[in-house]
Amino acid sequence: MPVDSSTKTLLIVDDSKVSRMLIRTHILTQRPEWIISEAACGEDAIALVANDLPDYCTMDINMPGISGTEAAEQILANHPSIKIVIFSANIQETHQERARSLGTILVAKPVTEKSIALALDYFDNAQ
Amino acid sequence: MNSLNELQLDALTEVFSIGAGRAALSLSEIVGDEVRISVPSVQVISSNDISSTTLSLNSGRFGAVSQNFSGPFNAEALLLFTEEQALKIVSDMMDSQMSLEELAEFEHEAMCELGNIILNACLSAMADMLNFTLDSSLPNYTVASADDILTRLKKNTNQPYIMILHIDLAIENQRTAGNLVFLLSSASLNNLVTHIDQFLDPIS
Repeated sequence: MPVDSSTKTLLIVDDSKVSRMLIRTHILTQRPEWIISEAACGEDAIALVANDLPDYCTMDINMPGISGTEAAEQILANHPSIKIVIFSANIQETHQERARSLGTILVAKPVTEKSIALALDYFDNAQ
Repeated sequence: MNSLNELQLDALTEVFSIGAGRAALSLSEIVGDEVRISVPSVQVISSNDISSTTLSLNSGRFGAVSQNFSGPFNAEALLLFTEEQALKIVSDMMDSQMSLEELAEFEHEAMCELGNIILNACLSAMADMLNFTLDSSLPNYTVASADDILTRLKKNTNQPYIMILHIDLAIENQRTAGNLVFLLSSASLNNLVTHIDQFLDPIS
């Protein structure tokens, strides 16, 4: 399938299927042309990214196995071009700081039109 | 009423994880340190099937914060920790070098506050995601034996369904585990499932 420049690829990483479905639905409403893949844990995300690097990634923090922040750190170390938004219900300052120090942003769950708008704004504008 | 399917339980776990995140934020402001609360699983069972293992109710005494909720469905919620764990949490919340006797004085108030924070955070997450609002009564704290708690849960014939959330709580890297239990009538459980299905419908 020919891919034009507005078509972006996004990897959604979350252990909750419902959460992945929510993110997918909201993103496709705003960006119907995007191609979306999913992973249910940090380890799978690292393997998927190594195979086929997406433009963007949303990452949950609390998952079985390594945490989302650890996975984001490893992915960014190997693939600095990817833009990652950390989606979490845990929005304590320590997590916000950790997200900033990795060069990502932390967006508070629940996944809503508003939180997705924050993520899309970061994807569109972060250099 | 059959048991909830995997997707419905996933939706509830996600709702309560968000509630747990909000509760952790409020508690971290009280203790001045990072607080981690996670909800690894949610179960809905008939109260006939409840046993001491379902709730990890071993011997000993338990601190129970109870609160009643009313709205599109009614529920009684119980937050359960062993009394030893409850005192440890109170000690972290009071941030002091108090003796056990002194701590016990604050146990009632601090546990009510903890229950209030966790339960209301879960309610606000439900309200935001499942689109309904519940009102809550004031929290009440009692210390009871495992047997007392089981008898109370089993005897409540008006609310024959029990939703159990296993909760892991870590304050200043000290881990404790407890359970949050909702007692539901079959009409209330049906209403809850209807709201979950309405939430899942547009994304399925």
